[in-house]
Amino acid sequence: MLTDQTLRRYFYILVCFILILSLPFVALADSFEQLRKDSANIQTIQSRFVQKKFMKILTKPLISEGRFYYVAPDSFRWEYLKPLRSAVINYKGDTRRFIVSGGKMIEDKAGGMQAMRVVLGEVTGWMSGKFDQNPSFVATLKEGTNTRITLTPVGKSMSGMIEKIEITVSKKAAAVKSVKIIENANAFTLIDFTDVEINKAINSTVFQDVQ
Amino acid sequence: MKCISLFIVIFFLVSCSTMPAINPPMLSSAGQKHFTCPSPFLKEKSQLVHAIEITAAGNVQGAIIGITVADPSNRFISCAIMTTEGMVLLEAQSGAEKLNVLRALPPFDSGDFAQNLIDDIRLIYFNPQGLLQRKGNLSDGSTACRWQEESGDFVDVIANKPGSTEIKKYSACGSLNRHVKLKQTEGNPYSSIELEGSEMVNYRLIMTLIDAHPVKTIKGKNNEKQR
Repeated sequence: MLTDQTLRRYFYILVCFILILSLPFVALADSFEQLRKDSANIQTIQSRFVQKKFMKILTKPLISEGRFYYVAPDSFRWEYLKPLRSAVINYKGDTRRFIVSGGKMIEDKAGGMQAMRVVLGEVTGWMSGKFDQNPSFVATLKEGTNTRITLTPVGKSMSGMIEKIEITVSKKAAAVKSVKIIENANAFTLIDFTDVEINKAINSTVFQDVQ
Repeated sequence: MKCISLFIVIFFLVSCSTMPAINPPMLSSAGQKHFTCPSPFLKEKSQLVHAIEITAAGNVQGAIIGITVADPSNRFISCAIMTTEGMVLLEAQSGAEKLNVLRALPPFDSGDFAQNLIDDIRLIYFNPQGLLQRKGNLSDGSTACRWQEESGDFVDVIANKPGSTEIKKYSACGSLNRHVKLKQTEGNPYSSIELEGSEMVNYRLIMTLIDAHPVKTIKGKNNEKQR
């Protein structure tokens, strides 16, 4: 349905969501160098999330719920449970997307996986905490009551799609508090993470199929 | 020359179809005097959010979220299509005439996609415009009304059983271009919508209602007037 260019941009955004949870200890970090060291200790992450989409057209935000699994270095499952089910899974270099059809989850074979693989090549760097080394973003880290990382896209890869991404980390809880993806003055997405569990064993079947 | 003319006439006769006949209303035993056309359409400005499953040429193409704000009083529509992840693929507005595309990512920026989308939304949510041509019953007993729009197209609105309404749009020569099935499952006539479109590539949308509520218009702050 989407062209390769759109899919590539689209997966950038998806991946932005995913990379965020690799930063649960960022509150302890006061530099990107420290962030890289902290991220090296993370082997697994699992969490629930609530996503709120704000747009001018919406009189109230559109709320989605889902869950996230990550096993270092590059296995993940990003899944929406409500209101519309979908999932993206990356396991052993194979990336698959699942969508709902006729009440069942089916693999989306409409194309675009090549575009997704290109993006995932860059994710590996992000998962290692190398936010300041991705040429697609300029990253800044600001200390305060909460730590805030701002990722601003450079170049044309995301022009017209994302203005910036703000990651707020609670110092008290030492975990990511929220992620705000700002598309433009009239539209942004806010993701809140809950029940974050670090380095707890995750069964590999989580990355192999979606029921 | 006569052969060519004959060929053209035959071509049009073959390519045009016959719309189902609408017979005069069947009178009830009590001698029914008033006939009411089926009208599942919006009565007030509303916001509707649907999960949409797209099938084109028989293959599942994807699942997206569709947002519509529709005002029947001035036939104004705002709509957006987004992925489950929240990425907006298309956002557009349209009043009585002018279409304003606020955002469109490829391939939604191509051709008349936004206009066709708006036309489909109008067909689903708004009363048909034009001349009421026929009203009565189809051969299966369903209640039906037929309008002819200014463009020459025909729109049939059919109620065949409680909570179930169909909208069919025919070209001026009677080819079925759109077929909408509305199934009311939870009090809202737009709980479940199935739209089949006949274009160069036939497509089918299965829409499941996520959220619906009326939108209050503040005087002087109408969307159309803001632009």
